[in-house]
Amino acid sequence: MSYTVQPGVIGAAIMPCVNGEMQSLEELLYEVTRRALRAAGVTIEDIDGIVVGANDQYDGRAISVMMASGPVGGVDRDILSTPSAGEHAFVMGALRVASGQYRTQLVVAWSPIEASSLSEVQRLAADPYFHRRLPLDEMSAHAMQATALMATMPNLQAMAERVTEKNRKNGASAYPDLATGKSDAALKARWPLPPGAPPVTGAVALVLASEDFVRERSCPVAWIAGMGWATEPAFIGDRDLTKAPALEAAAQQAYAEAGVTDPLGAFDVAEVADATPYQELLAYEALGLSPRAQWEQHLADGTFGPQGKLPVNLSGGAISLNPVYCTGLIRIAEIALQVLGQAGSHQHGNASMGLAHAASGDAMQYNTVVVLRADTKGANP
Amino acid sequence: MSQRVGIIGIGQSAFQARRNDASYPDLVREAVTLAMNDAKLEFDGIDAVVYSLSPDAMVGIGNAERLGIDAVGARNKRFLRINTGGATGLSSVAAAYYHIAAGACETVLTAGADKVGECGDSQSVLNKIWDPTYERQLPLGTISMLAMSAVRYMEKYGMTEEDMARVVVKNRWQASKNPNAHLRNETTLEEVANSRYICWPVKLFDCCPQSSGGGAMVLASERYIKERNLDAVWITGVGHCSETYYLGDRMGRMQLADHADAYALGQSFKRAYKMAGIAEPLHQVDVAEIYAPFSNTEFHSIEAAGLAPLGQSPAMVREGQFQLGNGIPVNPSGGTLCTNAIAVTAMIRVAEVALQVWGRAGGHQVKGAKRGIASGNGGDHQFFGTMVVEA
Repeated sequence: MSYTVQPGVIGAAIMPCVNGEMQSLEELLYEVTRRALRAAGVTIEDIDGIVVGANDQYDGRAISVMMASGPVGGVDRDILSTPSAGEHAFVMGALRVASGQYRTQLVVAWSPIEASSLSEVQRLAADPYFHRRLPLDEMSAHAMQATALMATMPNLQAMAERVTEKNRKNGASAYPDLATGKSDAALKARWPLPPGAPPVTGAVALVLASEDFVRERSCPVAWIAGMGWATEPAFIGDRDLTKAPALEAAAQQAYAEAGVTDPLGAFDVAEVADATPYQELLAYEALGLSPRAQWEQHLADGTFGPQGKLPVNLSGGAISLNPVYCTGLIRIAEIALQVLGQAGSHQHGNASMGLAHAASGDAMQYNTVVVLRADTKGANP
Repeated sequence: MSQRVGIIGIGQSAFQARRNDASYPDLVREAVTLAMNDAKLEFDGIDAVVYSLSPDAMVGIGNAERLGIDAVGARNKRFLRINTGGATGLSSVAAAYYHIAAGACETVLTAGADKVGECGDSQSVLNKIWDPTYERQLPLGTISMLAMSAVRYMEKYGMTEEDMARVVVKNRWQASKNPNAHLRNETTLEEVANSRYICWPVKLFDCCPQSSGGGAMVLASERYIKERNLDAVWITGVGHCSETYYLGDRMGRMQLADHADAYALGQSFKRAYKMAGIAEPLHQVDVAEIYAPFSNTEFHSIEAAGLAPLGQSPAMVREGQFQLGNGIPVNPSGGTLCTNAIAVTAMIRVAEVALQVWGRAGGHQVKGAKRGIASGNGGDHQFFGTMVVEA
C-alpha cells in the first residue's frame, strides 16, 4: 500500500546525553526543537503539527505533554502525544504528513532521569494483581529474555560480548566526549546481562515534511520508504522470549512498503535496539539480517562492524549512551542523519538506504521499524 | 487526495460509578466486543489499534496501555497510545483516522476505558498536571481551574449561577433518555441551587461524575466500506489546537487568550469546519456533542463552535435553545456533565454524534440529523480536538 502523500525527514537533532542539572526540562526541549528546526532549514511557523513521545512516569507529571507543549512550539498549534513510546511519535507524525492534511510535523521525545528510581517507575507498569510484587522492571525482563535465549544456544554469551565490544567502540568514536564506554557500577545489572550504560538525560527531535514541501523548499530529505510497528502481548508469561514475533511483523510491514526482499543486501547502514546485546542479536534475526545459526559467523567476519557489509549501530547504540525513554526515537534519528549525510564523525560513506529499529517496554514489547531512502534528484521517492 | 474515512462500529459501556465486576482490561474488552460486533468484524480484520488512555495515574498502572494489548486484540499488530488529557478519546479517533487517510491501513480499532470512580480522588491525581515549581502548590484541580473560568465569564458576560443550573437541568433531562449515561436522574433548578458549593460558583450538581466504563470505535477506508457494501457514517473534518500550559498566561494584561473563553477550541473548530466545508455552522450543523465537564463550560464551548456569538449562549439557553427538540441540540446524550470516564469521554462525544447522524441514537435521537460536531478538551483547558461527522 502506498502513502497518500510521500513523507520524508528533513532534519534531526540528537542530544544523547546532557547535564540535566544545568537545564530545566522545558529549556532542554526548547533547545532540541530549535536545533532540529535549524537543521531542517525551517522555522516554527513552517510547522503544521507536533507529536511528542511524553511519558508521565519518567517525567513525574500527569499528562506531561502539557509541560512540553510550550517549549516545542505547541501553543496555538496542533499537538498530540504518544506515551506508549518515543518512536510512536515518529509513526504518528509520519502518518499525519502521509495523510496529506499536514505539510510538516515536528516529532520530539526526551528522557529525564530525575525520578528517584527508574526501576520503581518501571515496576509500576506491572499488572497490580499478578506481577506487581515481582521485581519486574525492564532490566529484569530483558534479563529473562537473555536467559531464555542462552538456554537454547551455546556460546551465546561470547557473541553478546562481541556485540557489546562493537557498540562500545562505535560509541567511543561517534560521541567521544559523551560515551565513556564505562558502565555505572551503581547500576546493578541482572544476570546474565553485562552492566549497561547508565541512564542519562537526553532529547531528540525530527522534522518531517511532505513531498511537495520538500520540492518547494529544495530541502535535503530522507524519504520514509517503509514503516512498520507492532506489539507483543500484555503479559510476559504469554511470550516465547527466545523469539521476537512482533518485530518480525513490524519488519514485514516496513519491508513490504519499501519493496525490500533481501534485507542484508538492501541496506547500507542500520541502527537497532540494543538495550542489551542479546536484543541486538534477536533483532538481527527478526529483521531478516542474520538467522541465529549465522550470528557467530557474522560476528566473526565483521558483517555488522563499522567496515562490514551492513554496519549496525555506528552511533554506539544504547549500549554506549542510554537516555532510556528516547533511545528508540534516537535510532530513527541516527538513520535519518546517516541518509541525509549529516551524521558527522560516524557518517557512513554511502548511506543511501537505512534501516532503523526501535523497541520499548519489557523485553522488546513494542517494536518499530523504519526504512529511510536517500533522495535521488528527479526520481520519485 | 486522501480517501474518505468512515465509522463502521461503535461500542460503549453503560457507565457507572463503580464496576466491581470488571477489571480495567475487562472494561476495555467490553467496549471492544460491542464495537467489533457492531462492525461485524473479527480481530483478523483489524490492521491497527490506537489505544485511548489519559493519565496513567488514574488507573494506578504505569503505561497501562500495555495491560490492554490483549483486550484490544493487538498482539503482533500495529499499536500505539495517544494521550492529550481529557481530549484523548477524540485525539485517538483522529489518530486512527490518520492511519487510514495516510493509506497505511484499511481498518483501525480505537479503544480504551477508565475507572475514574475507583481511583480514590481524581482531583488529587489531576493536581499533578501542574508545574511542580510554580502552580502545583496551589489548590488547583480541574474544578477550581474551571471555576476561575466561570468567574471570569460571569464578569465578562453576566452569566448567573441560575444560567449554569439551566445547563444541568437540560443535560440531565437528556441523559435520562440515554441508557449509557451515568447520571440519569432528572433534576430541577432548585435542586441544583441547593447542592453544596465545590468551588464557587461551581456546585456539586454543576460537576460531572467520576465514571467507570469503556469506549471503542472501528474506522475503515472508503474503499473497504464500498467493496463490502457496509453501512457507515463519515468523518469529514478533524482539527486540534492548544492553549498555554500556565493558567496565568490566560489572565491579566499579558494574556495570550482569555480564560473566560475557549480560544483554542474555536481555532480547532475552524480547522475542522474548513476541512468539512462548513462556513456557517448555525445553518450546517444538526447536532453537537461538546466536551463540557462543568455546566459553565458548555457556554464558551457553544460559542467556540460558532453556534452562538461570544457571551450570548446563556441567554439562548434561557430561551430553550440547544435542547433536544429545539434548534441544534447540544449534548443530547447528557454529555460529559452526566458521564465522565476521562480516557474515553471525548471518544464518546464522537461516537454519540456518529450514532445521531446514523439515526441510531434511540431515545435521545435528534430527528433528521445528518451532520454533527464533537469536541474534546484536555490538560488544564489546554488541548482541544474537534471533529465533524456526516451521514
